[in-house]
Parts: sequence; structure tokens; C-alpha cells
Amino acid sequence: MRTPKRLAVLRCLDWSAVVAAKNSTTPCAVIHAQRVISRTPAAMRYGVQVGMRRRHAQALCPDIEIVAHQPSRDRTAFDAVVRVVNELVPLIEVSEPGLIVFAARGPSRYMGGDGPMASKIVEALKTSVADSRLAALLVGVGVADSRLAAQIASHASAMASSSANLFVPYVVEPDKTNEWLAPQSVRVLGEFASINRETISLLERLGLNTLHDVCALSESVLAGRFGELGVELHRLSRGDEQYPLAVVPHPPEHLCIEKFDEPVSDQQIIINSVQRMAVAFTEYYSVHGSVCVRIVISFESESGKRSERLWYRPQGLTTSAIIENAKWQLEAWLASQLAGDISGDPESHALENYALENYALENHGLVRVQLIADEVRTDTAQQLRLWGGSTQTDETATQAIGRLSELLGSSAVQVAKWQGGRDVLDSYELVSATHAQTIGSASSHEQISAQKWRGALPNPSPSVVYSEPIQVQINDQFGKLLSVSARHELSASPVSVIIGSTHYKVNSWAGPWPVEERWWDSARSRRLVRLQLVCEKITADSALQILAMLAILEHGEWTVAAIYS
Amino acid sequence: MQLDTKQRITELSIKELLVTQQLNTKPQVVERLAVADDVRELLPDSGLVRGRIVRCSGDAGLSLALSLCSLATQQGSWLGVVGVEHLGLLAAVEHGVALERTVLVHPPKTSREWSITVAAAIEGLDLLIVAVPERLSVNDARRVQTRLQSRRAVMIIVDNTVLSQSRSMNGSNEAQQFLADVVLDTKTKSWSGVDKGAGYLQHRDVRIRVSGRRVARERNYLVTRSC
Repeated sequence: MRTPKRLAVLRCLDWSAVVAAKNSTTPCAVIHAQRVISRTPAAMRYGVQVGMRRRHAQALCPDIEIVAHQPSRDRTAFDAVVRVVNELVPLIEVSEPGLIVFAARGPSRYMGGDGPMASKIVEALKTSVADSRLAALLVGVGVADSRLAAQIASHASAMASSSANLFVPYVVEPDKTNEWLAPQSVRVLGEFASINRETISLLERLGLNTLHDVCALSESVLAGRFGELGVELHRLSRGDEQYPLAVVPHPPEHLCIEKFDEPVSDQQIIINSVQRMAVAFTEYYSVHGSVCVRIVISFESESGKRSERLWYRPQGLTTSAIIENAKWQLEAWLASQLAGDISGDPESHALENYALENYALENHGLVRVQLIADEVRTDTAQQLRLWGGSTQTDETATQAIGRLSELLGSSAVQVAKWQGGRDVLDSYELVSATHAQTIGSASSHEQISAQKWRGALPNPSPSVVYSEPIQVQINDQFGKLLSVSARHELSASPVSVIIGSTHYKVNSWAGPWPVEERWWDSARSRRLVRLQLVCEKITADSALQILAMLAILEHGEWTVAAIYS
Repeated sequence: MQLDTKQRITELSIKELLVTQQLNTKPQVVERLAVADDVRELLPDSGLVRGRIVRCSGDAGLSLALSLCSLATQQGSWLGVVGVEHLGLLAAVEHGVALERTVLVHPPKTSREWSITVAAAIEGLDLLIVAVPERLSVNDARRVQTRLQSRRAVMIIVDNTVLSQSRSMNGSNEAQQFLADVVLDTKTKSWSGVDKGAGYLQHRDVRIRVSGRRVARERNYLVTRSC
């Protein structure tokens, strides 16, 4: 039997909201696609929850500061935390901003046990990260035998620390992970192991409410019902790791090294060479039918300083993901080098007007870049084409997309993914192109499921859809605001629409069509009425402009959600 | 004056001849991207000729641009949508655009960065739907156009402002950085399908005026479109 590996997870609760807030006491929420994805402890006290609609959050807490989601901001701010932890623990894995995973056995033995180790790291964080915004940050550390258990434990630890007002680590005893996980609800799989909502809800409807229930079934039964996902579910619930973290570095299966004869000090050149290496790297593995899920990227400077970091993506690292990670690491490293230089050198105040990055690179030109595969698994479900590889156009397009994401950052280059819904905005989700699993091929599953929901608007759909609906006034013939009764009847015929300072005359309309969604869930429920309007307006040059729009009445306010352009 | 234009046209056609001859040596390059039947007659070459710029203006411009792209994306070309805010993806699917080969790019609105982004997109994508920022300098526009011609991609320009009519309505007056080869100016005449609370939006009659430097004579069409 394999000896279980101890894993520690350090979690900074609601990292993106804490970083986005102006100071530690303001309530602040980070919004993505009209939903709260993170909020500060101050906002939590008002009852603002993750997943709430923006309006709902504003209704609960009128002074709440609303910030748009911006992954790069989270990442840059998180580097300070990574640096502190990295001083105490050599090899750490940054899965996402706010979450650090590392092997616990070595550090624990050095620092005298799991609990003291966790306290020590958190103490170091509190003392050395000098950022006033982080005063309210809730940090939790969980130690367990599996990634899932450690994640849940870290969350529990953060919550316990907030109520007790001092740091409490949560340690699951060795070999007890299985029993500890058993009473947990299956919802933790969705929250911490990114199993999708439909599967979770299906499990609940099958009567499998806790991980114990899932675990009690035999693996083959689950595999028969869910396929590969079933095996994964069983593995997660019994607290096993598919690929345990390697504590002792094993000989790499494949590594790419690029040595520069002369120290290179242009960041762009380094990134370009990483790009070349990443292409060769992923190609090597795809030829062998496998995919690299964990990679060590290492930079070495002229003066012998090194930056090594571990990167993990459970779906496998694509070329663009490797480049992005390398870029993140390089920037962070340069920043830290610079900070070290300035603190060590009292005369460096002259540097203030100097381009900081260039300075760092000039003094620390790179001589070596390495990519080392740390963990490789067989490529399971990403075979794209029957006839070996994609076409030439697909290849050039993928390259161009990689280049674009490099130019603009991955969040500015997006591809669409079907998710379904009644709202014109909801039916497709935009995901960043670097995180998309299969660019250029619609899976058969997607083609089947991409059908309209019952209650969705009839074809044709509007070609201009506003992510932030525009406030309008819709009046009847007496200039009174139009309302809709409880029986979904209009109070009168709409006659005029006022958008900003422009008046439109209503020619005709269709509706009202009511939508009532998720009435059982107070945080996510929606109640609204939709109306199609055909309006006209005489423009300045006495031409007639005809405009068809989709108006929505929600919370007593009319908005224009889309235009049929 | 008339002689001048005639001369230019012959020059251009000679140039075109040369280009096609060059391309004949490289048979894998398709010189023209296919378009769906309902919009084919609008275009002078009954297809989207590579290296050219098409402008779709007016209040049905975006949906027209989407239907121009549909068949080409289904046949394997990639579409980049650059700087177009608020694109309704459901509408794109209904027009037949293959979303699995569509990328949405949101560049900054400054002239230099926008043109760098578009140039990078031209490198690998066959088709682009772009909204041009107001402050784009003529120099940058020319660079993009040269790149477009050398990479043999097709760029479709749309207006991004539907509700602020001052710009989109007086399309002819605005400073246009790009000299479009084909201009399709649309104007909705009427919508059908809705009637005082009943029905739903189904069809519309659109007047489309076709002009531009590759169009010999300005033509007007009255088309009934499903959107």
C-alpha cells in the first residue's frame, strides 16, 4: 500500500474582494457576469453571499463598493503572500490567487508538527505583509491526506479563525481522512473539486447526500453510471489522491533547457523563448498521448539567483497556459529582486525616475530557462480529430490566439461556451481562451445540449446584448410609468420610451412575457417581465429611425437589455 | 475625371490579375470566402474577397455582418470579433456562425494598441468583425490595411453605437479612417410579427445600399431578413 501523503492548503478567504477593497473595513463585492463572486468580511456581515445578483447585494448593503472582476489584480497582489510562504516552504504550488498547496510532511517535521507549522506561516504572513487592506483578511490552513480534504479543512479553519478572532489551524489526523470526509455533504465536491452543478444535483436526487453514501457504492457501479467522472467521484469521496505530490524530486521525464550565451535582459525575448520551449514541450507529450499537469518553471540569473515555481492544472497545461504562468512568475521574481536591491542599497533612491523593470533585468540578466515536467498523465478525453491533428487554419488560428492573449492578457481574449438559460445574456458563457479546453471543436455533447430553454425568447435573437442593462422609462399615453400587475397584465399600452434624453414613440409591442426563476432559492431567485418594443424616432436630419428592443421590468425598474440591430 | 477613374480601374484589374497569377502557384490559398445565399447578391464579387474591407453600417449592420461570416466559419475559417462590445452570441448562432471557431477580443481603445491587436489577429484569423475606435489615427489604419492585404484576411467594420444616433445615423459624415472596398449601408424600414401585445418579432424589411470603391454603380436593395 502507498503511504498517504500529507498535503497542506493555505487559503486566503475571498482574496479578490479583499484586494479590491479600498481599505479593510469597507464592504466590497467583486462582480462577474452580474453575480457576486467574492466579498469582504465587512460585506459578509450584511448578509452578502457569493452567487447573489448585484442588485440583491446592493439592496442588502447600500454602501457596498462594487468592483469588476480582474484576475491580473488578484494575481499581482498575491505574489506578496507567495513570497512569504516560499521563504518557509521550498516548493509550493499556486493553484489560483488566494490558494497555495504544498507537501506538509517536510515542513511539519522541521517546525514541530502540523499545527505549529501552520501557525508559524500565518504569523509570518501577518508580520511581513505590510498592506493595510489585508488586515481583515481571513487566512485558513488545513492539513489532510488528500487535496479535497485539505481544501475543506482550510475553509473550516478560516471560518473558525474569524469567529474566534485568532488563528486556528485545522488538522485532519493522518489516515483519518476517509472517516473525516464521510459525513461531508456532496456539495463540497462542487465547491472545492470543481465538479459541475448538474452532477451534484443529480447525486442529491439519487439520494446520495454525503460523501459516505457515494463511497459506499462500489466504484464499478459509479463508473457504469457516470463513466470516468464516476471513478473520479469515488476517488474524491474516499479521500485518495490520483497523483500524489512528490516530496522527493524524481528524475524528470522530459525537460527543456534554454541557455543564453549572454545574459538576456529583455523580458519579451525571454517570453518568446519560453513560448518556443512550451510548444516543443506540449508537442512532445501529445505525441506520446499524454499531457503534463504539473510543471516546474525555473529561471536562473547571471548572479546565480534562481526562481523555481510549481504550476498545476488538473486539465493539463496547454502551451498558452505555460506561457502565462511563466510570465506571471518572471514578473513577480523581477519585482522581488528589485525590492531586495532597493532595501540592500541605500543609494538606490536615485532610481525613482528609472524604469524599474529594466533596472532589475539589467542587473539580473537571465542565463538559463528550464521547463521540467513534474507530473504527467495519459491524455484521456482531448482527442480532437479523427484524421490526426487539426487543419492548417486551426493551427495558425491557435497561434494567433496565443499571441493575442499574450498581448492583452488572457481575460481579454475569450471564446464562447454554451451554458443554457432563459436570459439572452446567460445562454453563452465567455471563458478566457487560455482556459478553454478544446478550442476549435464543438463537442458532440455541446451540440446536443445547445437548444433553447423553455421560456426563452423566440427567434430571432437580438444581436446587441448589454451586459449592463440601460435604464429607461416606458410611459403610457398620460405620461405615467408603465407597470405590470400580479397577473402579468400591462397597466396600459406603452406609448413612449425615454432613453437618457431621447424620446421614442412606440409603434407596436409584444408581451409581456413573465419569467420566474429559482423561486426556491432566496439568493438567486429572479422575477421579471419582458417586452419587445418597436419604436421610432425622427432624427435631426428628419429621417425616420426604427428600432426594435427588448425591455425588462425587474424590481420595479425598466431597462433595455438588448437591441435587435 | 472620368478618364482618370477608368485608368485606375484598368490598373487595378491588372494588379488583380497579377495577384491571381501569383496565387495560382500556391493552390492551397482560397481567394474568396464563401457567403450564404441570401447575402451573396449584395456583394460585387459574390463572395468575400480576401484582403478587402467591407463596412456594414446602419441599424442592421451587425446582423448583416454576422450573416456574411456564417458560411465561411462553417467551412473552417476562423472569425475574430475585435472590440465589438455587447455582441449577442445567440444571434450569432442563429445566423449560422460556428462559435467554436470564433474568438472575442477586447483590445484597449487607444489607437496604437488597437491596431497592434488587429494586426496580431490578422496574422492567424481569416475573418474579422471589428469596431473601429473613434481616435484611430489614419497612419495606424493604413498599416492595418496593408497587413490585411498581405495576409489575405477579410475585415468587416461595424458601428458599435446603436443608441447614440448622432454617429451611426450620419455615417457618411464621420471621419472614416479605413477606405472600405464595399460599403453596405442598412436601414430598417419596418418590423413585422408584433401587433399591440400579440405575436413576436419575426421579420424586418431592410433597405441596403451597396457602394464603395469596388462597386461600379451604387445599388439599392430592399430585403426581408429574419433578423
